[in-house]
Amino acid sequence: MMLITCPFCGKRNESEFIHGGPVGAVRPDPNAVSDEEWVEYLTVTPNPLGPVQEKWWHARGCGEWFTIWRDTRTHDIVEAPDGTK
Amino acid sequence: MSYDVTIERCGLMALFDLKGAPDAVSKWAGDALPSLPYRPNSRTEKDSIELFYIGRDHWITRAPLAQENAMEARLMPTDCPADISIVRVSDTMTFFRIVGPDAGQVMSIACPMDLHDSVFGTDAVSYTEVFGLKALVMRCQDGIEFAVEQSFADMVEDYLIRATA
Repeated sequence: MMLITCPFCGKRNESEFIHGGPVGAVRPDPNAVSDEEWVEYLTVTPNPLGPVQEKWWHARGCGEWFTIWRDTRTHDIVEAPDGTK
Repeated sequence: MSYDVTIERCGLMALFDLKGAPDAVSKWAGDALPSLPYRPNSRTEKDSIELFYIGRDHWITRAPLAQENAMEARLMPTDCPADISIVRVSDTMTFFRIVGPDAGQVMSIACPMDLHDSVFGTDAVSYTEVFGLKALVMRCQDGIEFAVEQSFADMVEDYLIRATA
């Protein structure tokens, strides 16, 4: 069970949210990359060990989209690492 | 285990969904609505018309069904400026009232939010989950009131009966 802080509603149960994927996976131009790179973009989700920035949607709440940093080792929601926004 | 509660499935109410910048909505609505609540997930009320602040630049107003036509005439959804949105949603939501000494106990089965008085006060209103469905929850006289999408109402009524049997 995870409590996620919505910027509008405050702390809410994880079940009210839908994971919107990692931040920063920039969509490449499908005409400018190889098939392998395109397939990797479509199918491989970055899963680094440590803090990762993710998009979340408060779907069963206020509807807000926002980003958080989550530590993949502990599931803790953490501050952004130094030097990142 | 049985609970000391009364479950009431409410009839239709006049509901309008409002979106837009607060200044623009307030200017357009004029005195047709109570003053806009300034605190997220809170509500204001004036002359049996309630206004729920349920999302960023998003409100729902509720009134008795008898006032629906009058509210529509005053809010003029089809003529509102392009930077705001007003939609009549009266028939999209079904309200339930759970009242009685054990209302909190029943809601704790259904809803993950802390609905104790000290956290969820008399003017609180919020979208959250009830039996896993998106629901608009608020406090009412002697209990809790919530609304779910109309098409789930029969199912939710059945859940409530089973939970309190």
